[in-house]
Amino acid sequence: MAEEWVNWSGSLRFTPGVVERPNNEEAVRQLVTQALEQKKKIRIAGAGHSSVPLVKTDQILVEQGKMNGVIAHDEETRRVKVLPGIHIAEIGEALVRRGLSMHNTGDVDFQRLAGAFGTGTHGSGIKLQNLPGMLTGCRLVDGRGRIREFTQENNPEMMNALRVSLGALGFFTELTIQTETARKFTREEYCTHIDTCMEHLDELINKNMMFDFYWYPRNDLVKLRLCNPEGEGMNKLSFAHKIKHEEGWLYQILPRDRKLKFDEMEYAIPYEAGPACFQEIRKRVKEKHRQYVAWRLFYRTIAADEGYLSPFHKRDSVTIAVLQNNVLEHERYFNDIEPIFRAYGGRPHWGKKFSLKAEELRPLYPKWDEFLQIRKEMDPEGVFLNEYLKEILGV
Amino acid sequence: MSNKAVGMKKWAFSDGYIPVQSTGHEPDFVSSDKLSVLNTTKEDATINITLYFTDGEPVGEFKIEVKAERVRKFRINDLIDPQAIPLGVAYAGVIESNVPVVVQFTKQNTAQSKLALMGTMAFPLD
Ligand SMILES: Cc1cc2nc3c(=O)[nH]c(=O)nc-3n(C[C@H](O)[C@H](O)[C@H](O)COP(=O)(O)OP(=O)(O)OC[C@H]3O[C@@H](n4cnc5c(N)ncnc54)[C@H](O)[C@@H]3O)c2cc1C
Repeated sequence: MAEEWVNWSGSLRFTPGVVERPNNEEAVRQLVTQALEQKKKIRIAGAGHSSVPLVKTDQILVEQGKMNGVIAHDEETRRVKVLPGIHIAEIGEALVRRGLSMHNTGDVDFQRLAGAFGTGTHGSGIKLQNLPGMLTGCRLVDGRGRIREFTQENNPEMMNALRVSLGALGFFTELTIQTETARKFTREEYCTHIDTCMEHLDELINKNMMFDFYWYPRNDLVKLRLCNPEGEGMNKLSFAHKIKHEEGWLYQILPRDRKLKFDEMEYAIPYEAGPACFQEIRKRVKEKHRQYVAWRLFYRTIAADEGYLSPFHKRDSVTIAVLQNNVLEHERYFNDIEPIFRAYGGRPHWGKKFSLKAEELRPLYPKWDEFLQIRKEMDPEGVFLNEYLKEILGV
Repeated sequence: MSNKAVGMKKWAFSDGYIPVQSTGHEPDFVSSDKLSVLNTTKEDATINITLYFTDGEPVGEFKIEVKAERVRKFRINDLIDPQAIPLGVAYAGVIESNVPVVVQFTKQNTAQSKLALMGTMAFPLD
């Protein structure tokens, strides 16, 4: 038995049978082949930041710390090939050395790139897609132990299945991402009242490259966060009080350091439904939950994409997240809010808490059956499945 | 202006209780317990607060910085690090600072629309 494995928030613990740390694609291929021969199961761990049991196994857990780094980049197309275990922070720094940048990051930068893609990790910005939106090609070891290579140009539908694939289609051994020319950004934070924020919401979303806000349930104040290329976007907001100003490369100023641990549920809802859904949740939290909940709610926007299991599949979206200190009870709170998200057609973040199972998830995703068909072709023996994936995929 | 440090390094209050209900526009009229900390010294103050309850273990330390020669007010309701405290329960607090400070404790109860406000000095301990 290996040591107990604990996720970031501490809400998920298990002891894998063995932990493997391959250092190249061939070693991954051998692991999969051996697992097939021995009828064992494999789960692939990223940085352990998801808080649902995607990586839980009592058999083989594979970590990818040794598969880390930039392989090559093409100056003309700005496409970059990386190993899957590279952390978001590391890739940010490595790209800037080449004059390049990712288009966005989430709120933190300690995920591994393949792990972040696995659940459809996103930042905020109405014209910006989630992180796997960058994926233009990949190599992976599938569930038959075959090394496969796909590109956006040659295999667009397969790429759309792979974009957000929960580690259920195979083990990514190489990722090619579309980057941009690096620019300096300005990031500002403002404080105001929630009513003022909602009055100016459209303008804040549409006039800034990246905008999101936190609402504090015990005082109705909000923190507005704006991030724009230097000289662009809104500045000097007349309706809010500035509390922070930073300048730098995107990877330096966008992610935040999160030491205080929390559990979180987040849903993506159609963009137009965002304000109404938020107001309903706000009312509910004030009426029912703030005796025990002081953590903020988080409101972001994300552009539509084509990923079969992307929560933003074919729809511009708003995401709303509810959070709770990890040492406090969150289930009563999350279970009470989840039906509100669902009433607005919400799709859960695959890496955060949610209660839906396959029969509830399937109607939310028009390409669900196609994804399952591809999964069957890629991994007929289910070597990459665990109990949790079986439940949420219905296989 | 005199450089004399005013206050004490250790304070306590025992009558903590934040009503669950509030009426009126927030944040001004939210039911709350507020601490006001005055730091007259030339050094930034680091305030550590530990909260005690009628049931359960103490929670802390909540860390608050008060810049040199500044006053800072904050609602206990808003604290989340290391964890939020429940509303509607009795609690008490001990406040420790690295430099002498003056601590005042204010309770606002808007559970009904007629505002009730009460301010008192926290109890100096050193
Ligand atoms: C503090 C904090 C802040 C967060 N902020 C955001 C945010 O701003 N936006 C957002 O969208 N999410 C956010 N999240 C969620 C987080 O981004 C996702 O849960 C993400 O998937 C975690 O990445 P990871 O590297 O830890 O991967 P893990 O959680 O370990 O794994 C995620 C999935 O990827 C699969 N996987 C990993 N590597 C491979 C591989 N090589 N090949 C195939 N599959 C693989 C795993 O099997 C698993 O299914 C946050 C989480 C935390 C804890």
